[in-house]
Amino acid sequence: MRAIIAGFKELTRYKSAMFGLFIIGLLVAISIYTVIAIPYSEAIRLWRGGEEIWREYPRNALPSWVNIFPGVNLPKTMILSTTEVEKQVQPLGGGTTNIRAVLTFDYSSNTFPKELALRFTATYQAKEPFVDVLWITPDGREFRLDTESISHEEWVLISQDTTLRRRLGNQPPEVGLFADPENPDRPLQGTYQLVLDGYVFEEGSDLDARLIIYGRVHGWAGTDDQRRDLMVALLWGTPIALAFGLFGALVTSVTSLIIAAVGVWYARWVDAAIQRITEVRMILPTLPILIMIGTFYSRSIWLMLGAIIVLSIFGSAIKTNRAMFLQMREAPYIEAARSYGASNLRIVFRYLIPKAIPLLIPSFVIMIPSLVFLEASLAFIGLGDPVLPTWGKVLQNASSGGALYKGYYYWVLEPAFLLMLTGVGFTAVGFALDRIFNPRLREI
Amino acid sequence: MFSLVVGMYLTVFIAGMGGYVDKIQEAQIREQVGLQVLGDPAFKQLPPSEQRRIIDERVELERQRLGLDTPFIRRSVGYLVRALGLDLGRAKIITSDSGSKEVRLILLERLPSTLVLFSTANLLLFFATLFLGLYLSRRYGSIADRLSVALAPLSAAPGWFYGIILILIFAAMLKVLPFGGMVDAPPPDTTLGYALSVGKHMILPVLAMFVSGFFISVYSRRTFFLIFSSEDHVELGRAKGVPNRALERRYILRPTLPTIITQFALMLIVMWMGAIILETVFNWPGLGSLYYSAIQQFEIAVILGETVIYAYLLALTLFLLDIVYAIVDPRVKVGAGAPT
Amino acid sequence: MANQDVLLKVEDLRLYFRTTKGVLRAVDGVSFELGADRAMVIVGESGCGKTSLARAILRLLPRNVHTYTGKVYLDGQEVMSLSDEQFRRQVRWVKMSFVPQAAMNALNPVIRVADQVAEPLLIHNRIKSKAEAKRRVEEALKLVGVPLDFMTRYAFELSGGMRQRVIIAMALVTSPVLVILDEPTSALDVLTQANIMNSLKRIRKELALTYILITHDISTSSELANESMVMYAGQLAERSHAGGFYKDPYHPYSRMLMASVPSLREDKELAFIPGKPPSLLNPPEGCRFAPRCPERFEMCDQDPPPFTLEDGRVVRCWLYRGRA
Repeated sequence: MRAIIAGFKELTRYKSAMFGLFIIGLLVAISIYTVIAIPYSEAIRLWRGGEEIWREYPRNALPSWVNIFPGVNLPKTMILSTTEVEKQVQPLGGGTTNIRAVLTFDYSSNTFPKELALRFTATYQAKEPFVDVLWITPDGREFRLDTESISHEEWVLISQDTTLRRRLGNQPPEVGLFADPENPDRPLQGTYQLVLDGYVFEEGSDLDARLIIYGRVHGWAGTDDQRRDLMVALLWGTPIALAFGLFGALVTSVTSLIIAAVGVWYARWVDAAIQRITEVRMILPTLPILIMIGTFYSRSIWLMLGAIIVLSIFGSAIKTNRAMFLQMREAPYIEAARSYGASNLRIVFRYLIPKAIPLLIPSFVIMIPSLVFLEASLAFIGLGDPVLPTWGKVLQNASSGGALYKGYYYWVLEPAFLLMLTGVGFTAVGFALDRIFNPRLREI
Repeated sequence: MFSLVVGMYLTVFIAGMGGYVDKIQEAQIREQVGLQVLGDPAFKQLPPSEQRRIIDERVELERQRLGLDTPFIRRSVGYLVRALGLDLGRAKIITSDSGSKEVRLILLERLPSTLVLFSTANLLLFFATLFLGLYLSRRYGSIADRLSVALAPLSAAPGWFYGIILILIFAAMLKVLPFGGMVDAPPPDTTLGYALSVGKHMILPVLAMFVSGFFISVYSRRTFFLIFSSEDHVELGRAKGVPNRALERRYILRPTLPTIITQFALMLIVMWMGAIILETVFNWPGLGSLYYSAIQQFEIAVILGETVIYAYLLALTLFLLDIVYAIVDPRVKVGAGAPT
Repeated sequence: MANQDVLLKVEDLRLYFRTTKGVLRAVDGVSFELGADRAMVIVGESGCGKTSLARAILRLLPRNVHTYTGKVYLDGQEVMSLSDEQFRRQVRWVKMSFVPQAAMNALNPVIRVADQVAEPLLIHNRIKSKAEAKRRVEEALKLVGVPLDFMTRYAFELSGGMRQRVIIAMALVTSPVLVILDEPTSALDVLTQANIMNSLKRIRKELALTYILITHDISTSSELANESMVMYAGQLAERSHAGGFYKDPYHPYSRMLMASVPSLREDKELAFIPGKPPSLLNPPEGCRFAPRCPERFEMCDQDPPPFTLEDGRVVRCWLYRGRA
């Protein structure tokens, strides 16, 4: 045990390992933060909750921090609600009441917004209210948008209004309504107003509206094509990846160690069985089998993890362990233990296995990122867990969403970066540990 | 041999889901037939019970045609036996470019593409890392050496991962190389043009495979040679005044040749199976992407065919390895049946 | 010591290694001379630095060398100042060869015996034709007692004793002036040991070579050597001609060593040396043997210089300061 601790202390000598440890620490910190700040149920709700949750987020938005770069001034999403302004209520006689609200905002970006939408909520009994919408630019030009009759909840997608589009000279409304007449490629910066004239026909009816000016940036990580905030998936991908890797590597390492030890030491039939099973395992192609399991049975991450563990145990892990134990079996102290009558179980668990643990540590650490990438591989080809948000999932979404063709590079780079970070971090530590614990490498 | 059979049977079993796939297929058939019958104006007039009867009849016919009426266990053994004899049967849905449904032809058609991609990448990797590893083992502690150690972890990422990044950089951003596929569409007329086009399309996938395997290979070869250089006979060789070049060739490379060759052979095998995702990412029409689409389409015959080929290739390689060992390592050659 | 031509003169040779625990001073300022046609045995406990001394002289250094200084005059030429390539061409196996410990692995496993033995001839261009090389190889093998039909064999087909003989043959084939043998027989069984020792004796008679034989086995070495050197904790403890050394060792350490070795001719009680040698990482101030020395006194708190006595022997001990 002391040897192991001493070994770990030696890790400080290797710069790459310290860097790797730092990365691992970072990932663990992110995982802990994520699990606390965004509880699992909340994460699932945010990731799979359905359109309602994301509707007010922009589609395919870049991360907000791109605005740091000089010359980049992409707009953020602005949402203005009539509940925050004073409404002027004026009865007009005959049961009709006019409710007027003016929404004001400043537009300072040098790029047009992505989309425009209005979301109305109305309370009424039977007669639907309707609304006149007037758009006023900073330089005083006015555009009348279509008059709408509003049901209880109504979305008016201004950006998709083809009539408006034609009226604006065949420009998409989010461009046309903002364009600077002297410089039609750029939006006119200044104070804009949206005048909403609502008409209700019943006592007690009310009308509210939310103007959503969809920006082109959102949050720390941007959004995907379903308007979901990518941060949720990126953050939650961390503990999932770490747990998957750690758990898988741990179970594989320990189990193969025990089986190999038992086989080498006392149950000859176990050893023979191991040999045969390993041979069969060599023939089975790993990835295709996993793909088949995912396609034909279930994509549940637990099933996949289980299958991967079983396949890994009987892969090279057990072979190297077996070779190691075969060597150890001949050691004099083992013979001594036998001669004083130690039981087989005792020899295996008190002598063989503890001696083998330091040799196991590097491969354990190195196994972690390969499992993480394996999960990402499966997710990438569409066999990821149907519920969990993982990095591989994001990559898969990006791929099917045509991210590379459409230039949404951040969508690919963000999960890729995290995957790479995890891979490099653990592997760096693993290699350094190998240089410490592997007797053959100590000679150098 | 036994393990071969067991392994393949397992694959068949998994692929067939112990019979569950049959049920899926049946459901599919039923649905199709149902749509057919119900949509056919000739049958519209019939009472529902009649329609149902016709559907059942047709479903039964289909089942018999596809062999679904025999229990799965029996069929799986049948598959296995035929597959072992390389009678790979016919596919249900997938066809080769020439229009044949014979699995053998389908596979054969895809083989060259995969081969060309893999051999190039692997040969490049093998020789580059061998010589670089040898070179670095002589320069322990130098900057290049320390760099190789520091960069080794970069191989944590698999080939398809680097593939995506490379596509991002070279195809999407810089627009100098194609996104995927094996050849321009429409393909050039001349052989030279065709070859060049394939070459251009090969650059990114080969690069992806190369980068993924490169760092760890260089590191492990360098480490291997480093450890080996402190072997007694190498030291004695150095003491004898053997010049460095000859030392490397005769005292380090030659004795380690068997190990190196084994590594190479196994790497070949492992790589070609694992490139399913890489080929899919690059839309490369090879055996890997075929495997993937076969699985998606429940095309058991093709799945089985590829697995069988893989298993045979493995066995063949191991066999060849034994022969190569015997040639290259006198310990093996002489040990077996040497005169006193 | 008879005043003959000095073949090997070592001056203040130092070899320090860099280890995770600090700097290991394996060879800490050793100086001695060896005349031509003499056979010197270097004895000492394990870890005293005798193998490192051999490597320092042969320039067979590992990767973690911290310090490597001093002067080595071989046949008049100072060889420490030669570049690696010059050393390789002019010294290695040409002037000086090496017989390592009887390791299983010292022979190249994939090259035939004859080719390996001939290799130094071919590398250093000592022969004109393949036939000449073959002749020289046969000569060498006969000399060491290896049957000629082993020439076409591979190393793994030979027994341990045969392998060692081949290695000795290989060391002799270029007719070097100095052969350094590092524990040539310690890994072999007693019978083979005796055989090889006899062969070495015979070879020396026939070839007029200069040997340095490194061993921890004092008894067997007495037959072969006519000079001796004792090393302790990286330093030279005593240097004398063999006769004087075996009959009447000067240094307290040498005396205790001799006392611990059984003798065929007399009945004696075997002594042992209590304690253990000092660490080479942090050698103590003062005489390094002092903690275990029965004859220590106050002066021993200072590290004694090697005193050259009037009879030519060298002893690193304050007890002999008067006779220098």
